[in-house]
Amino acid sequence: MNARVLDRSLLYGSAIFLAIWVLVPFYLIAISAFTPQAKIFDYPKPLVPTSFSTETMQFFLEARGVLPSVLNSLLVAAFTIVFGLALGTPAGYALARFRFRGREAFQVIVLATKMFPIAILSIPLAVTFLQLGLYDNLVSVALVHTAMALPFIVLVTSGVFVAVSHELEEAAQTLGCSRWGAFLRVALPLALPGLAAAAIFTFVISWNEVFAATILTLRTRTLPAQVLASLSTSPLAFKFAGGLFMVLPAIAFIFLIRKYLMNLWGSR
Amino acid sequence: MRGMSSRASALVAAAAILVTACSTTGTPAGGGAVDQGKPFVFASTQFSPVTEQENMRKKILAAYQGASVDFITDQSAVILNRISAEAKAGGEQQIGLVGIENGEFAALVAAGAFDDITKIADKHKDQKIPQDMLTLGKVGGSAQVYIPWMQATYFMVASKQALQYLPTGADVNALTYTQLVAWAKNITDKTGQKKFGFPLATDGLIHRLIQGYFYPSYTGGLVTTYKSADAVTMWNDMKELWKYSNPQSTTYSKLSEPLQSGEIWLGIDHVARLIDVLKAKPDDFVAVPAPAGPKGRYYMSVVIGLGVPKSSPNKAGAEALIDHLLKPETQILTLRENSFFPVVSVTMPSDLNKGLQLEADAVAKQASAKDAKVVPLPVGLGAKGGEFNKAITDTFVRIVLKNEAVPTVLDEQGAIIQKIMTDGSVKCWGPDGSSSGPCQVK
Repeated sequence: MNARVLDRSLLYGSAIFLAIWVLVPFYLIAISAFTPQAKIFDYPKPLVPTSFSTETMQFFLEARGVLPSVLNSLLVAAFTIVFGLALGTPAGYALARFRFRGREAFQVIVLATKMFPIAILSIPLAVTFLQLGLYDNLVSVALVHTAMALPFIVLVTSGVFVAVSHELEEAAQTLGCSRWGAFLRVALPLALPGLAAAAIFTFVISWNEVFAATILTLRTRTLPAQVLASLSTSPLAFKFAGGLFMVLPAIAFIFLIRKYLMNLWGSR
Repeated sequence: MRGMSSRASALVAAAAILVTACSTTGTPAGGGAVDQGKPFVFASTQFSPVTEQENMRKKILAAYQGASVDFITDQSAVILNRISAEAKAGGEQQIGLVGIENGEFAALVAAGAFDDITKIADKHKDQKIPQDMLTLGKVGGSAQVYIPWMQATYFMVASKQALQYLPTGADVNALTYTQLVAWAKNITDKTGQKKFGFPLATDGLIHRLIQGYFYPSYTGGLVTTYKSADAVTMWNDMKELWKYSNPQSTTYSKLSEPLQSGEIWLGIDHVARLIDVLKAKPDDFVAVPAPAGPKGRYYMSVVIGLGVPKSSPNKAGAEALIDHLLKPETQILTLRENSFFPVVSVTMPSDLNKGLQLEADAVAKQASAKDAKVVPLPVGLGAKGGEFNKAITDTFVRIVLKNEAVPTVLDEQGAIIQKIMTDGSVKCWGPDGSSSGPCQVK
């Protein structure tokens, strides 16, 4: 009995510790973002804000391109999910279901693309996209993000389809389904939670990506490219405002999708 | 209930995506009813802080009547890569005008990225842009690559709290580096705190201070005196100064912030990185010329120029924008809002902001000091500029922060610098005079 109480308190204690560890910086950023600019350099800083001002945040939000960049980011992420799943799911399915020559090599090569540093591609990539007329276009950013996310999608979806018993598909086929029909009516619905998890990670990869977004766009920037471009040299107050503004959507997103995350980690 | 709410949020997300899909297809608003030609991008490595960007868009460019202009700024490498990518792609691209620093032009000029704008420069002859600046704008050739747009420099800011600790006999407006070290030491002795600050963060400008201030003031040169006995004296003084410097200096990218929070009382930095504290607390600080060394009071002059890329989509529009930016009233507005100084002849207004007035006075005192000598930012390094800056910063880090032996470090870093000079066939510039072949480290 006592051991159980101890166990519980340890568990809750460490959970609370971890929560504080994560939340305190958020809290400090949040109160600094809404501190009047004149008080931002006060030291020591009060833990409870004594004055409140939306001036910095308002200026930041009204700065050119900040609000549109949020929508740009959402759009790029949506395109990336569509492209990525359309290309990655069949590849994952094939890896899970079929034995074919070069299957292992394919798996390694898919992973190897992750080792390639995209930084050395910057100018050639920009020149190619300029020549193709795809420069400064959300679809072009989504294409690069798809290339970055594909290895991940292929590996996750192949894991998902391995877990879906192929006997069920065969059973469906004996009952009159075509191969495609069996996939569509049996394997796909069973794999959906896993695919959703892959989509979520694709979203996160795209949402956080700065480099390609920076080199491939000029006016239609995504949020991280827009914010990081101007914040590193901006006055302190704006760093807090921008930081908070970048963190909030991520937190909101994690709250919305956390049950799918659990799915991916196997505790269904 | 749950089903409802998740469906509602999905709808909201879908609506948001649709809204963007519509909003991003249009071109940016702006421009009058008259057709002024294609909209274009004005790309710059300057004014990257969000406040300065917005001043540029909403105030400095407000009176401009031509084609729609989008002012875009980013870190130097990003903007330079973009200009170079557009030049390589050829044809008509997006960037119509660029505003970058003198030293950043060289590599792009070598790639043939710019138009010859001698005609535009001739049109502005009666505005009296200094001749040596216009010559800089030819970037070593005969064609006018850029027209000077604005200028800046570095100077020193001190908290008034520090003035009581000035060493006896020292004039704050005519300090020497020896007196500066004594001043910082005095502060530490009396208050127990280390109150000098170096801009040592990765995006701090310490390399400029070494290139344009410490080295020439002590040795009369930079590359050609890199390993001289005078240089050793300089490094020993820097090591001494570091003892009284806030160790947090390694996180400072602009000194206005630690000055404003009181972490440091003294520091030398770029005007744009000091102006915030002067504007916020003009009564608590003094702005003074940089100190002098045995060879004089060397200071660095930063010139920002305007160039028209060959791939500009609207060259007439770019010319109209240059005309606007060079108008005396625009130049003064640029000083008021973003604290860069005019290059054309203007009458300084008497109602400048108090902080700006401090800045303007310090710059004038620095330029007119009896022992003042001006040097440009490194010239002709082109793509090697970053490597050179790193070699210089590394010298500081190894000698001052890591306390390695001065002669060893100068030998090793000197070899790196020599390789940069030889590989890029970089001729001597500024404080080192001129040379026929690559500049030689001595």
